[in-house]
Amino acid sequence: MTAVSSTLLTPRLTAVVAHNWKLAIAVAVVVSAISMAGLPAAVSFWVVGAAAALVAAAFTVNAYRRHYFGALLVAPAIAVLFVMNIFPLLWSLGLSFFAYQANQQTIRFVGLGNYVRILTNDLAAHATWGALINTAMFVVFTVSAQMIVGFLLAILFAKQFPLRKYLLILVLTPMMLSVVASGVFFTYYYDPTFGILSYVINSISGNQFILMSNKVGAVAGIVFADAWMWSPFVMLLVLAGLVSVPKYLYEAAAIDRISSWRQFWMITFPYIRGLLMLALLFRTIEAFKLADLVILLTKGGNDTLTISYHLIRIANEQNKTSEGAAISYLMLFMVIVLTNLYLYLANRRTKGA
Amino acid sequence: MTAMTKVKGLATAASFAATLLVGGVTYASAEEVTLTMAVPDWPPTRIMKKFFDEQYKPKSGNTVKLDVDFIPWPDFYTRVNASLTSGEKKYNFIVSDSQWLGAFVEGGYFRKINDLIDADPELKAAMESMHPAVLNAYSTYPNSTPNYYGFPQFPDVLVTYGRKDVLCNDDEQAAFKAKYNEKLPCTGEEIDAMDWNTFEHVGEFFQRKKGDKLAGQVLDDDFYGIAYQAGKGYDFSTSSVHTFVWQHGGGIWDETKAPTGHAEGVVNSPKSIEGMEHFLKLLKYMPPVVKTGTMDIFVSDQLFREGKVAMNIDWIGLGEASLDPKTSKVADKLVFGLAPGLRGPDGKVNRTSQIGGQPFVLTTWTTPEQIKEAVGFVKWWLSPDIQHQFAAAGGQSAIKSVYSDPKYVTYRPWDRAWANSLDWQKDMWHVPQFFELLTQQQDQYDLAITGKQDAKTTLDNIAKFQEDLLKNAGLIQ
Repeated sequence: MTAVSSTLLTPRLTAVVAHNWKLAIAVAVVVSAISMAGLPAAVSFWVVGAAAALVAAAFTVNAYRRHYFGALLVAPAIAVLFVMNIFPLLWSLGLSFFAYQANQQTIRFVGLGNYVRILTNDLAAHATWGALINTAMFVVFTVSAQMIVGFLLAILFAKQFPLRKYLLILVLTPMMLSVVASGVFFTYYYDPTFGILSYVINSISGNQFILMSNKVGAVAGIVFADAWMWSPFVMLLVLAGLVSVPKYLYEAAAIDRISSWRQFWMITFPYIRGLLMLALLFRTIEAFKLADLVILLTKGGNDTLTISYHLIRIANEQNKTSEGAAISYLMLFMVIVLTNLYLYLANRRTKGA
Repeated sequence: MTAMTKVKGLATAASFAATLLVGGVTYASAEEVTLTMAVPDWPPTRIMKKFFDEQYKPKSGNTVKLDVDFIPWPDFYTRVNASLTSGEKKYNFIVSDSQWLGAFVEGGYFRKINDLIDADPELKAAMESMHPAVLNAYSTYPNSTPNYYGFPQFPDVLVTYGRKDVLCNDDEQAAFKAKYNEKLPCTGEEIDAMDWNTFEHVGEFFQRKKGDKLAGQVLDDDFYGIAYQAGKGYDFSTSSVHTFVWQHGGGIWDETKAPTGHAEGVVNSPKSIEGMEHFLKLLKYMPPVVKTGTMDIFVSDQLFREGKVAMNIDWIGLGEASLDPKTSKVADKLVFGLAPGLRGPDGKVNRTSQIGGQPFVLTTWTTPEQIKEAVGFVKWWLSPDIQHQFAAAGGQSAIKSVYSDPKYVTYRPWDRAWANSLDWQKDMWHVPQFFELLTQQQDQYDLAITGKQDAKTTLDNIAKFQEDLLKNAGLIQ
């Protein structure tokens, strides 16, 4: 009944009632425009904020009177999402079309200039593509290392053996350490003077061994450290899949005298495939964002600069804010394409099975 | 209303909101004034805070609190930069690396202090008693003009750290003399007289393998002659390369027309290339970590303290740790001298060197009451008595009457090299694009240091980049 009366009332723009959201929007737009034009920025900021709150309040009252309780219940979550995620995302998208540096108070519209620059300028594009190729390389190496090691560990820990519980905790420790702690640990581990790695190899070969002095060594060092930290994560996921396989399937297979290789492909693998794919997705996205270990171990030296670290340097250190925004949109685009490609493939497989 | 002013307005509004959110940090009652300060975490700033807590009594009668944020060196720039550009307006006082002046003055964050100096004869006298090299590098923007922004907090130069037990050993002395027909520098005076050739000889001479003898003792680990920063982070190779480029008569930019001169032909001039090649030649005598491009000032300092090298060139600011037996295996074997220079055909040594150290600067949002207290604090800090105490506790002073006092050289073993080093100190670019110049240059130097390209390619690449940057900034056609 109230719903009907409300629908009758809302079109009247001039009616001063709590749920007249159209009037609220009109008032908010006018007040905001006037305050932004006439008041100092520090004051107009709050006026605009209050106007936005007025519109939100009108919407809430309107929704309440119309008994849109579902919408009201999700509204706070959507509000937080908008304020914390969507607004900054759109703001940085806008910024990527301007020439703006955070430490200089000037701004100028350049259209697609930043994108053109990071993709075609012979200096900037060279850095971008180099970083992207390195990132792709790290994604392939770190993810495959983690998948293989994590999978093997999971197979091992799916069996019962003495001290299993304690060993499991030990294997999980690297994942719980802070990346910085691990990074510093590996810096010393690889150090040619103080590190144990060079110490052992030196005493065998007799020559000075320096792991991080070329690209192969530096990449191997970073991949090893990353795999050391994140293989346990893959293991946990796969292990969850392994223990969920019903025992009776194996018993039936044993009665049919099926080889363990076939048992794995026919029984185990279908159960863990979904989780393996999930681990692959998580680790691929994370590996795409790799920056912390690179900063700690090489500072991007020996051609190990990744796109994330490149972005940090452009946006945070060199204060080229809008160019950084353009790079992050390039990254976002790539992650979205990759993720959708992955989901498409995963879905097709599931349907085929 | 243009898009530009709109964004500016919103940015200001956002920063205002941030200030309110941070709360009363910058607000204090008339009797109690809080000065919030961002400083790097190392002895010179720890000592300052300690002195302040123990001794400082403001003349105004107010209670002054110094709220100090100690930030680790490797993160220092990033943290300060983030704080300033985000507009949170948290700090009143910032210990700023000298090269940052341009970047943050242009952004409107650092306050010009000419009015404060002119209004206060005592402060003016203190600033005028400063060594001109230090004053120019730490205070002026554009460089060497009478526009002042900073008060020296901790002045610093590069000096040679040496190990007496190795350098003064009779067997080593004799073997060195036989091999190079010159004396192995052993005392402070001999190190002062050392040029790069001798330094290189020291490096070559002391390369020892595990099992070899060093000063009569069998080594249980490899030993190296020399160490000198050559790392990819921050300015950890720039400081050394600049020194060599300048000493060979090259340049890092066209100083006659800076910042509007061209980079091509200056940055990659034959003399600059010669200087860079000279630096690269020394690397093969340094500990193997140099080949990874991560031998920064902290790594070379640690190698020296662990007793792995005979000589290290490093900032005085890191010296305290090598004196302390708890952190240094060579604490009782130290000798200090000037950093080496390039001996010309006439026998004169050119020692032009990259200056270190930091000024503190005031930020533009500091209130008049805070400024009054800040000036009081700075005057106290630069007063001869406190400067003497600071030097005695391991700091340095750039005030003439303090460092020329005969007492000064007795405070710390490196102080004998301090006053003599000041005259030839020079700074890198103080321009808003400083960090772009620095990171690109560091990347290129790293490629040369790790043996991926030669000096000429390196400097050609840097010149090309700088030319492009200057064009984009509208400084050249």
